[in-house]
Amino acid sequence: MTAGRGPGRRVPAVAVALVLAFGIIAAGSSYWQVIRADELASSPTDAAMLAAARTVVRGKILDRDGRTLASSRRAEDGTPYRVYADAAVSHPVGYAAQLYGSAGLERAYAAELTGARGSDPISRAFAKFLPPLDRGLDLRTSLSLAHQRLAVSLLGNDRGAVVMLDPRTGEVLVMASTPTFDASGIANPATSRQTFESLREDEASPLLDRATLGRYVPGSVFKIVTAIAGLGSGSVSPATTYPEQPGAEEDGLVVSGYTIKDGHHPFTGDEELDLLSATEVSCNIWYALAGLDTGGANLDAFARRLGFGEPLPFDLPTATSQLTNGGGPLPGGFQDDVELANAAYGQGEVLATPLQMALVAAAVANGGELMAPRLATALVDRQGRATSIEPRSMGRVLDPASNAAIVAAMTLAVEGEWGQLFTEGAKVPGVPTAGKSGTAQLGGSGEPHSWFIGFAPADAPTVAIAVIVEQGGRGGERASPLAGRMLRAWLEAQ
Amino acid sequence: MTGRVADAPAPALPGFPRPRARRRELGLLVAVVVALAIGSLSLGLFRTGRPELADPQGLLLFAAGLLVAHVALVVSGRRLDEVLLPAAAFLGGIGLLVMERLPQDLVVQELGPWTLGLGDLQLLWLGVALAVATTIAVVYRSDRWLRLYKYTWAAAGLLLLALTFVFGSEVNGSRLTLEIGPFAGQPSELLKVILVVFFAAYLAENRVLLADARVRVVGPLTVPPLAYLAPIGAMLALALGIVVIQRDLGAALLFYAVFLALLFLATGRLTDMILGLLLFAVGFLVLAALFPHVQERIATWLDPWSDPLGSGYQLIQALHAFARGGLVGVGLGAGLPEIAGRPPIPAIHTDFPLAAIGEEMGMTGVLAVLAAYLVLVERGLRIASSSRDDFRALLAAGLSLVIGVQAAIIAGGNLKLIPLTGITLPLVSYGGSSMLANAIVVGLLLALSDRGAAPLAPPRPPRLARLRRRPGGTP
Repeated sequence: MTAGRGPGRRVPAVAVALVLAFGIIAAGSSYWQVIRADELASSPTDAAMLAAARTVVRGKILDRDGRTLASSRRAEDGTPYRVYADAAVSHPVGYAAQLYGSAGLERAYAAELTGARGSDPISRAFAKFLPPLDRGLDLRTSLSLAHQRLAVSLLGNDRGAVVMLDPRTGEVLVMASTPTFDASGIANPATSRQTFESLREDEASPLLDRATLGRYVPGSVFKIVTAIAGLGSGSVSPATTYPEQPGAEEDGLVVSGYTIKDGHHPFTGDEELDLLSATEVSCNIWYALAGLDTGGANLDAFARRLGFGEPLPFDLPTATSQLTNGGGPLPGGFQDDVELANAAYGQGEVLATPLQMALVAAAVANGGELMAPRLATALVDRQGRATSIEPRSMGRVLDPASNAAIVAAMTLAVEGEWGQLFTEGAKVPGVPTAGKSGTAQLGGSGEPHSWFIGFAPADAPTVAIAVIVEQGGRGGERASPLAGRMLRAWLEAQ
Repeated sequence: MTGRVADAPAPALPGFPRPRARRRELGLLVAVVVALAIGSLSLGLFRTGRPELADPQGLLLFAAGLLVAHVALVVSGRRLDEVLLPAAAFLGGIGLLVMERLPQDLVVQELGPWTLGLGDLQLLWLGVALAVATTIAVVYRSDRWLRLYKYTWAAAGLLLLALTFVFGSEVNGSRLTLEIGPFAGQPSELLKVILVVFFAAYLAENRVLLADARVRVVGPLTVPPLAYLAPIGAMLALALGIVVIQRDLGAALLFYAVFLALLFLATGRLTDMILGLLLFAVGFLVLAALFPHVQERIATWLDPWSDPLGSGYQLIQALHAFARGGLVGVGLGAGLPEIAGRPPIPAIHTDFPLAAIGEEMGMTGVLAVLAAYLVLVERGLRIASSSRDDFRALLAAGLSLVIGVQAAIIAGGNLKLIPLTGITLPLVSYGGSSMLANAIVVGLLLALSDRGAAPLAPPRPPRLARLRRRPGGTP
């Protein structure tokens, strides 16, 4: 008889259930108050952050040499507002404005800059026992103001982007996007509305950071990704040649009824192309065949190692670079062999951000290991104590031996007799230079996008670069000489 | 019975019991007042920059109220639990601190010549609550009037609910508030006490029948005969009806959870409880399929960020408040940033006081509040398990659970563990109805803890047994 014992005897079971429920609630509290606390409390939409933005004087943002990129002034009524050193850095530095919120590093590091968050976790957790910060922390970045200015002036009136970084540490030296915009105008309460509205209506979309958010057809610069996947998966070797060549070069290679063409036959003639020479003359047919041999699965896997397929781990938001539109029946999401063959030389549905392509160059430059890109290098408090932000590896992409073959191929593409024809002006005088140009066909009658990725010195790289000039023509016309100027300027300054 | 003090030296008045010292209670109350004073000091320090109490009069009045309640219990001479009052006082005191700390114009009421703000009103209600709880604790001696008139209570409760259905005014999409002339209140708060009394009386009378008279359904699954199931079915209908008509998910969940727990305590049939949960889940799914507001509530719960400025706004702001608080909080008075003079969470004083505590006192504060509820519930359940008869045991358990489960539902809602519902954090939230109802709960628990009270009249035979005159029953 179940009910024989009184209700009192069953109370412990109910008590245990309730204690369990309270335990779950306590766990919920620790989830939001400890695990997710930092992320939520430092988000730019947090009420305390919004309130602080009206009163607290933000810390400065500095370039790698200590030059001021962003500082604060006070309006007549005492409210602080931001002033920016140069429109050239507007995209990475961003803006912080009363009316229009914030962008760029101003947004990503809002908590630190407004002093809502200390530089180390311990002082963050016990902030209430410390004297309140009357000013935020200063943010030191890896940008070089001088080279940023040079990049913007070289892009001139064209739309485009330049990303230059140190492949050994991932430090971003230059991240330029044109057209730029007047961040000071947005931040200044007197001109804020007018400036912002006219920028928003500008059809050149100057507020868009093309370096991180622009997704472009990469064209031939993507061949480096195919080379990495082919060598990394063992599907091709540096000596691989294809029996279809040079026979197919005159009339084009037919893949499932689609014809892939090339322009180098007049000067390569009957030469048998291997990885090095195919890279030097940017042979679409060799790379289409290499891509088919490598397969969609391998191409996808190695592209992911390089950062494709999801937003990059970076200080600023980035667009996701893609190999395909996804959903195709073949491995890697390809629809058919035609798409795979086209993707292998950077056409098809491949889209990549300039930052992503700079990372491809940087991975090769760093012996096959990819360092995470970063802008912020240190937080500095008022007493000058700096907490540095350490470099972080994104993992090894390719073994050193295979990587060396790609370095050799990219060097040939800049230094070689034929290569020079495609990458005119990319060579830094007196310094072995490696690279790859690209000409992204957009379909229609418009001029193609002009691309270049590369690094120098080729034997011991200290700088890697990606350049895109929207509708700048062939890679060798616009992007290659621009990259050469940037690499040279950087190496001369060291 | 009251004056049975034959060996006492000299009772003060004939017919009055001898006072009984309550040292443990006094000690705990002093600890509570000291803790509140430190909180008030922190608040004052932040507000003025000088080490002073934020609202010395308020604190003093609250402490005086506690002292009066304590003295009344001492003088009554009853052997009442000594931890219940301090635990409730701790929760009420934290609520008072929070209300004094929030913008005072969140609630303003004219009372004769005075204009009272949020903190003053909460203090007033705390005073009323202390008076009610103490009076019940001292006066309540016999269970008869509660258990004999259980159907009258149930009818009164249903009438109250019906009045709200018909005349209730809609606040925030839920029809919860009943306004009669100048008085406005939330009847579902009072209803929860009435329902617990009814459940306890009904189940105490019928528990043996419910447990042992079974009808086989499938295999080992048995249920009580339909006649005994009817009240359970009615209860389910009531709970789901509240969801549909009143749009009050929290109250429905509370009533039903407490009911199921009492059913389990009464019959010991785990299968009945699981069946009840399944029925509720099915009913809820049907409702969710039929009514868009239930769907919306669930969607907001699953992803408040999909509508950060609309339906998800309050919850997101609450989660941010918890996050800002972190482990130890930002300090009383230092948090809760205001946007254009308003706190970012509009219903912070009624639905989200835990977020305010979480921000300013941190996870430490949240855990302290949770612990206080557990202490309160533990004392109540202890009273239940040592009660002499079924009605008192079920009543004590039900009353404790009403506080414990309500706290769990709203805390879980604040922390995005379950869908958010608009019920109060018992004894902490602002609100007269809620404070009054919880005062009755604490008062009854105190009274039930008295093991020296008058023995009960022998319970009447179960109603149905009387009607049917079962063979072998009492002649």
